[in-house]
Amino acid sequence: MSPLPSSLRALALSLALVATAAHADVLRRFALVAGNDEGGGDTRPLQFARDDARKMFELLQRLGGVAPGDAKLLLDEDSRDFLAALTELEGRARAARARGERTALMVYYSGHAKDGSLRLGDSRLAYEDLKRRLADAPVDIRIAILDSCRSGALTRTKGARRAPAFEIESGAARDARGLVILTSSSADEDSQESDALRGSYFSHHLASGLLGDADRSGDGRVTLFEAYSHAYARTVADTAASTAGPQHPTFSYDLAGNGDLVLTDLRASGEGLLVPGAAPAGTYYFVDPGGMVVAELDKTADVERRVALAPGTYRVKRRLPDRLRIGEVEVPRGRAAVLEETRLRDAPFSDDPVKGAARDGGAWWTVGFSGGVQSFLDAPTRDTLFLSVGLLGAEAQLHDYFRRDWVWGVDVAVGGKQAVLALPTLAGPAYRYSVTSLGTTLTAEWPHGSVTPFVGGRLAYLMLRRDFEDEAFPDQKFAMFSPGVVGGVRWKPLPRLYVTGQARLHYLQYTVDEQRSLGYWELGALLTYQP
Amino acid sequence: MRHLAMACLCLAAAACGGDFSNDDLEFLNALPKREDLAAKLPASSQGRTGGGLTTRKDGLLVNLGEVSQLASDTDDTGRDFNTAVDGLLTLLESIRATSPTTREPDRRVWGPFKDKDHPGFDVRFVMERAELRFDYQLEYRRTGADDTAWWAFLTGAFQADAGIRKGVGTLSLDVKRAVQEDFAAGGLITLDRLDIDYQTKALPTRVEMAFTPRGGLTEAVRYTYREAEGGLGEMKFRLPATDLVIGGKLEDVELTTRWAPDGRGMGVLLVLAGDIQGAKYTECWNALGRVTFIARSWDFFNPTEGVRTTCPDFTALDE
Repeated sequence: MSPLPSSLRALALSLALVATAAHADVLRRFALVAGNDEGGGDTRPLQFARDDARKMFELLQRLGGVAPGDAKLLLDEDSRDFLAALTELEGRARAARARGERTALMVYYSGHAKDGSLRLGDSRLAYEDLKRRLADAPVDIRIAILDSCRSGALTRTKGARRAPAFEIESGAARDARGLVILTSSSADEDSQESDALRGSYFSHHLASGLLGDADRSGDGRVTLFEAYSHAYARTVADTAASTAGPQHPTFSYDLAGNGDLVLTDLRASGEGLLVPGAAPAGTYYFVDPGGMVVAELDKTADVERRVALAPGTYRVKRRLPDRLRIGEVEVPRGRAAVLEETRLRDAPFSDDPVKGAARDGGAWWTVGFSGGVQSFLDAPTRDTLFLSVGLLGAEAQLHDYFRRDWVWGVDVAVGGKQAVLALPTLAGPAYRYSVTSLGTTLTAEWPHGSVTPFVGGRLAYLMLRRDFEDEAFPDQKFAMFSPGVVGGVRWKPLPRLYVTGQARLHYLQYTVDEQRSLGYWELGALLTYQP
Repeated sequence: MRHLAMACLCLAAAACGGDFSNDDLEFLNALPKREDLAAKLPASSQGRTGGGLTTRKDGLLVNLGEVSQLASDTDDTGRDFNTAVDGLLTLLESIRATSPTTREPDRRVWGPFKDKDHPGFDVRFVMERAELRFDYQLEYRRTGADDTAWWAFLTGAFQADAGIRKGVGTLSLDVKRAVQEDFAAGGLITLDRLDIDYQTKALPTRVEMAFTPRGGLTEAVRYTYREAEGGLGEMKFRLPATDLVIGGKLEDVELTTRWAPDGRGMGVLLVLAGDIQGAKYTECWNALGRVTFIARSWDFFNPTEGVRTTCPDFTALDE
């Protein structure tokens, strides 16, 4: 550390901040943005990693000073593509640097990480390799933002310091040079996605902050420290009550010269939304036509704020204790719109424009059709009493509602066949044998990429009957609850489409002729769709 | 919502169980049905009385082309036979429509129930199985009496032979006991017993019915019905004290009639006693019931009339 007295050091830091702002405009920025929903066989597919990457890619180009030719977006690409893209950007940066330009390289990754590596589909990229590669990159500033599980492990490595949110305000004294790493969670935490936000908590709040919510200074520019501080506070707050527990983003820097860096310039495009100082204080939500919260704004009284929304139509929501204030605003291309309070109206909470606002448990439904076969274990039973039959049915499943990776399902299936009775003293009567099965299943599953094995329990209500063509023989029926176990594998060949193979083994107490314990199995396939 | 789920669960629990039973089917299969025991008369016999042109004649004074009296007698006897079968099997019909009250490995019991048709009596039906043999009884007792008071009005047995009601069986109605128990026996009051013996396991099938008159004052009357492949039927019964020919005695005769599904038939009348004991009379008729051939064994001058080849082929019924 510098031997300067603290007063002089503070002065130097202030001057450095000014210098940083002055240099920001001439900083040549490069961005590599990658998103991958898949993380290999031992991970569960993510839902919004690619969406987060798209969002960040668009934002960095629009507000972050990254020229389109200096940005790379990789979706579901593997580590080889990732490194190749990085090499290409390094080459560009090297050339720019040779021309005397100051350069910065930002790497954003949203996806899986496990066991000390980023997981890009089935490929891996070790933290240490990534960090070494970034450290060697021919740029002045390297910023890595990792939105992935246990990504905090990267900031735990030697040479980096983990900085809690409150230290960010200390600022820096000189132009920033070196390596900065932001991670969405600590080394032992999962990074969580939100159905309501349609993205990860961290990336959502980081993006929202970069759009203006993090601009605490009100200077129209969001710095790295402001963005991280904002994302940290909001992510911890939003995940505090989640089933997975609070998620703590981390921040580390290893800079030759301390300094802050402007990440987005809210006036860069001239577009956006001005919230006048006279507008009421509170938290504003800006919702796109799809019902997704694009940005949030925590406004204090008498302070004008700016949200750098892209051109388009947005619904605006402000939550009051007893109602909502909602309205619509149009952000024109090339200039800023002003949010006028008079254009908002009172609305009940039921009119919340945010889709899924009432639920944030990550639960999801699937519905589908099933086909299979049912057969009793005891040969005489399946030959003369309860026959082996094919079944067709429907099934609905609720995923991750009671607990993550738990699935509750209800199913109904019917089957039947024509048969001829063959008993010791009676052979020949023709009849129709039919089965109706109502079941409810609770399973635990272990996702491995697109394949998910599961096991669980099932309770079925089985209704069996046979209708004889000869009126001399009465139609017969039997109904009974039947407990059992189920296991199988679910495969996701396409987004929202699942193919499941499953086996069931059930117990049935037969009580008519005598008390008998019977067992039967079912093998089936299930085609389900996630609405 | 939780109450609704609980209600559904309770309803489903109450709906557990049923009557899905192979044994029940085997027990029911031991009970004969009407079509098993009834005589299958040719369809053309319905209302066959010569279209109003026939005149009943005594004895065997019949000419070719006239309506066969034997054909008419056969039809009438067949209908009476079936009426008796119906009356007896009616007692078993209700069993088929009801699940057993008690199920044991080789025993089924329906009832006891209050007998609405016989106030003051309880009724139950008991079936027992021993390998392929089934025995059953329709039992009554005075309402309020103990288990030792049950008495059997109808008794039956069946030796099963795998197919649908294929086998050998017997069925008896103990009218005499019913009278002793002050049980209203209806139209059966003139009998002591009604017995049916049948075999349905192979063609030709056989159903033999014996009416034992009350008090045993006269000999039991037997009717035997047989059915062969192709819908051929045969009814054999005795006609006592019939004035068959001119003479001082009445004849006891045994009449065997056979018929084809199209209505053609043949009657063979064997004189067991009387003026021409041992004589044999044969008559064939066409689908309209009109005589086509006559043979009289005692008539040396004119033993046959008509063409014998007009008689149907009934060799499938030969024993």
